[in-house]
Amino acid sequence: MYLLNFKIALRNLLRNKMASLINISGLAIGLAACLMLLLYVSYEWNFDRGFKKSGDTYQLMFNFYGADHHIRSTGNQSPNTIAAVLKEEMPEVENISRILWASKRLLANGKNSFKVNGRYADPELLKIFDFKVLHGNLAKALDAPNSIVLTAGTARKLFGSTDVLNRGLKFENQVEVKVTAVIEDLPPNTSYDFDCLNSWKLYEQLNTWVIEPNWHNYSYFTLFTLKKGTDVGLFNEKIKNLSRKHAPSSFSEAEPFAYPLVKLHLYDRFLNGKVDGGQIDRVRTFGILALSILVIACINFMNLSTARSQKRAKEVGIKKTIGASRSSLVSQFLMESLLLTLVSVVIAVVLVELSLPKFNQLVSAELHIAYGDPLNWIGVFLLILFTGIVAGSYPAFYLSGFNPVQTLKKTVGLKSSFSLNFRQVLVVVQFGFAVLLIIATLIMYDQLAYLRKKPLGYQVNALVEMPHEGNLYLKYDLLKERLLASGAITSMCQSSGSISQQNSNSTGMEWEGMSEGDKKMSVNQIYTGYDFVKTNGLKLSEGRDFKKGLGSDSVAVMLSQTAVKMMGLKKPVGQTVVFQDVKRQVVGVFEDITWGDPAKREKPMIIAYNPNNSDVITMRLNTDNDLKDNVEMIGQITKEINPDFPVDVRFLDQLVAEKIKDEATMVTLSNLFGGLAIFISCLGLFGLSAFSAEQRTKEIGVRKVLGASVQGIVGLLSFNFVKTVLVALLISMPVAYLLMNSWLNKFDYHISIGWMVFVQTGILIVVIALLTVSWQAYRAAKGNPVDALKYE
Amino acid sequence: MIELKNIEKYYANKGVKSYILRHVSTSIKQGEFVSIMGPSGAGKSTLLNILGMLEEPTYGAYEFMGEDVVSLNERKRIELYRNHIGFVFQAYHLIDEMTVAENIEAPLLYKKVSSAERKSRVADVLDRFNMVAKKDLFPNQLSGGQQQLVGIARALVAQPSIILADEPTGNLQSPQALQIMELFKKLNEEENITIIQVTHSEVNAAYGSRILHLLDGVIKEDLSLQQVI
Repeated sequence: MYLLNFKIALRNLLRNKMASLINISGLAIGLAACLMLLLYVSYEWNFDRGFKKSGDTYQLMFNFYGADHHIRSTGNQSPNTIAAVLKEEMPEVENISRILWASKRLLANGKNSFKVNGRYADPELLKIFDFKVLHGNLAKALDAPNSIVLTAGTARKLFGSTDVLNRGLKFENQVEVKVTAVIEDLPPNTSYDFDCLNSWKLYEQLNTWVIEPNWHNYSYFTLFTLKKGTDVGLFNEKIKNLSRKHAPSSFSEAEPFAYPLVKLHLYDRFLNGKVDGGQIDRVRTFGILALSILVIACINFMNLSTARSQKRAKEVGIKKTIGASRSSLVSQFLMESLLLTLVSVVIAVVLVELSLPKFNQLVSAELHIAYGDPLNWIGVFLLILFTGIVAGSYPAFYLSGFNPVQTLKKTVGLKSSFSLNFRQVLVVVQFGFAVLLIIATLIMYDQLAYLRKKPLGYQVNALVEMPHEGNLYLKYDLLKERLLASGAITSMCQSSGSISQQNSNSTGMEWEGMSEGDKKMSVNQIYTGYDFVKTNGLKLSEGRDFKKGLGSDSVAVMLSQTAVKMMGLKKPVGQTVVFQDVKRQVVGVFEDITWGDPAKREKPMIIAYNPNNSDVITMRLNTDNDLKDNVEMIGQITKEINPDFPVDVRFLDQLVAEKIKDEATMVTLSNLFGGLAIFISCLGLFGLSAFSAEQRTKEIGVRKVLGASVQGIVGLLSFNFVKTVLVALLISMPVAYLLMNSWLNKFDYHISIGWMVFVQTGILIVVIALLTVSWQAYRAAKGNPVDALKYE
Repeated sequence: MIELKNIEKYYANKGVKSYILRHVSTSIKQGEFVSIMGPSGAGKSTLLNILGMLEEPTYGAYEFMGEDVVSLNERKRIELYRNHIGFVFQAYHLIDEMTVAENIEAPLLYKKVSSAERKSRVADVLDRFNMVAKKDLFPNQLSGGQQQLVGIARALVAQPSIILADEPTGNLQSPQALQIMELFKKLNEEENITIIQVTHSEVNAAYGSRILHLLDGVIKEDLSLQQVI
């Protein structure tokens, strides 16, 4: 019986080519989206779960309190002192380690040198994460200061082999280190990933200020495992006052707490000390989009099968009279939809393989289909089952419920009025979703354009930066001189961090006329030497930049307008502020620059003179020359002065564009899914209009005989469908408005939604729908009425 | 085998009852060959549908093989279809997606007959109807008469005790119609299968043993033809 059902399903597929094509292409796209979603979700979900103790691993986080005793912000970095204290005072802590953020480190095996992602960590890190060792012994791998742990990929790059235990490497062109272990490459979904791992002791040797215990410098990550069976809630209660106890302070109040490692990646945004989403939002959005596409494709299947119900009804009637039970009919119809889904899945897998590289780029993940993984097969199987049943259930139960007499007497009219309504409802759902996505895309696009155009407060064009490292520290002045002389640049400055991205802030600034709570004000900070204003193109509203030859400027600062306003300074220039325990004089006030998230209101900002704290060199290219030649010239001169380091010149406008990458990704995604939704919906509409034209052949014939014009008939046939689309527009526009309004409200700076968006969308959708249906209507209307009428 | 008592069927429309059958009472015994005749709209097909349990009467009692079947549940009704009743339709109603052999096999599948027996019974029927050569063709590749033969073969293959035929030759030319009627007669006489057909044609009715004349939903005449032959 199943074999026969299968054969019949196959014959049905082949016989109704257009319906099959519409169904399969729609389902294949929907399923491809879903498969992609499955891959993406499993990738994101498995973030940091690959370690044996993942479930017991925590990161120490801090809630910072503002002047009003409310949680002002939540940070994931800790002071360098707290790890030792926790280990000593809390018996629940099993292993604990400090770990530094990943930065590019120069590793050299003789002439063979590369910059790789490196971190410093305490030896116990290797007990928290059970990395898979290829060579060496992890237990002691980080004990000696000059030890280094390499991943297999890094080892191969440097040595051409992984069996490189005890081989020497030059680290950062400063010290000789010895390979103490080689581990397998880390999976891409690891938060604390690295290419090489160095001992914390080496970090302290190379940077003496790190040794100093400092409870107020929140710069390091602290990871630890809790003993099995520890109640995290109680533990957090115990450690709550740790910072207050060990470092009471008037300008900073922080409460530490343990946060599960496995939640770190997906839930990393905090608001008022509570989790407020994070990457999970994107996973969710993508999930909703993918499932919706699949549902739209399933709706096509339902609609087309019920549209053909008159023909299928006869079959049901016959089968019932020869003894078919309802359940056997249901199973037959489900078999048909499952078969269709199966075919679609095969195509979907091909589609996924084709689009994965692009998609990986888009969401910056490394997804791939693991054909060997039984879990994936189970996932795909469940997806087929789900889709097949969702798509097939309505036709299955609807058709199998037909009464044989009615169907055989050709009077299915009783139910068809209802089915037409239901079909229209489904079309409304499809187009409603498409409209929603189009409006969302348009609004997101506008918002993105708005953020892009929003003035940054500095001139980003022809601005480049490179790391300040190696010989460049000692020979900074020489570099500047030579670069300026070469004509490649017109100006150059050094700074503690890139101007493209917020990277440092502090509290505890003091000034005349402040209140006690003002000490807790968080201030963005940049340290720099000379020419910062000129190079970056900042606008000064008052005062001047730091001037060479003025001895007093070695303790000078500039303030942003927001800072001046928040500090309540009447005459800022000439005022004295205490910043980082040093009395400094304000020499200038600059217009706010967009340093952090372009959509968020800027914090007050201070630019302080201190050329000794410098990580970045910023240069303004000479626009009279070709920019490429300029960059080449910079590379040449820098390499001469600092031969051991590769030159890494980056354009600021690209770095700034990176900041709205998430929003740009959302626009691309909703654009893509919106397009797909419309495409699949129109496929369905096309199929439906074809069937409707077929069903009404006789009516059309009669009307033509009675003198109706072709336009009249096209209008008649199309109007019904356009009506449904109009209903969809009417329903989904307010929904879109509300949704997008709440999306926009997440931005401090945002556009307001104009009515044009809705008009554009409405016209677009109606035109597309009209084009889709009128083709079929036109064909039906052009037919000779005799052909239509002679078959009765 | 069939007992009808006071069968009534009407549709109520805006309070007005339009009767299709009124006070129909009759009994049909195993082995009879009954033709239901009458003008269009007399209620012939409705009566046949009620006999086939495809429609329920509004009033009245209907016993099939000693069992009250007026409000039989779907499962029991399907059991009867599988084991006792074969339908033949004017429009043949073959399943377009199935070949001749598959169409004939279908009732056996629903009856859960074993594969080997299915094969032999289908082969047997095909042989008897001289359709072995056409077994892999689809219905739309056959002539009307051939399609109706397949329809009858399908009704017969489950070895029913009764065949209900609604104008079985209505769409056929007369030579083919005669062939079908001969077949009915043979089945009736040789295998003692009860046959009830609806027909317009006196000629067809003459093949049977009894004629029920319907007019406006009432049995006007109940003729036994035994004497005539």
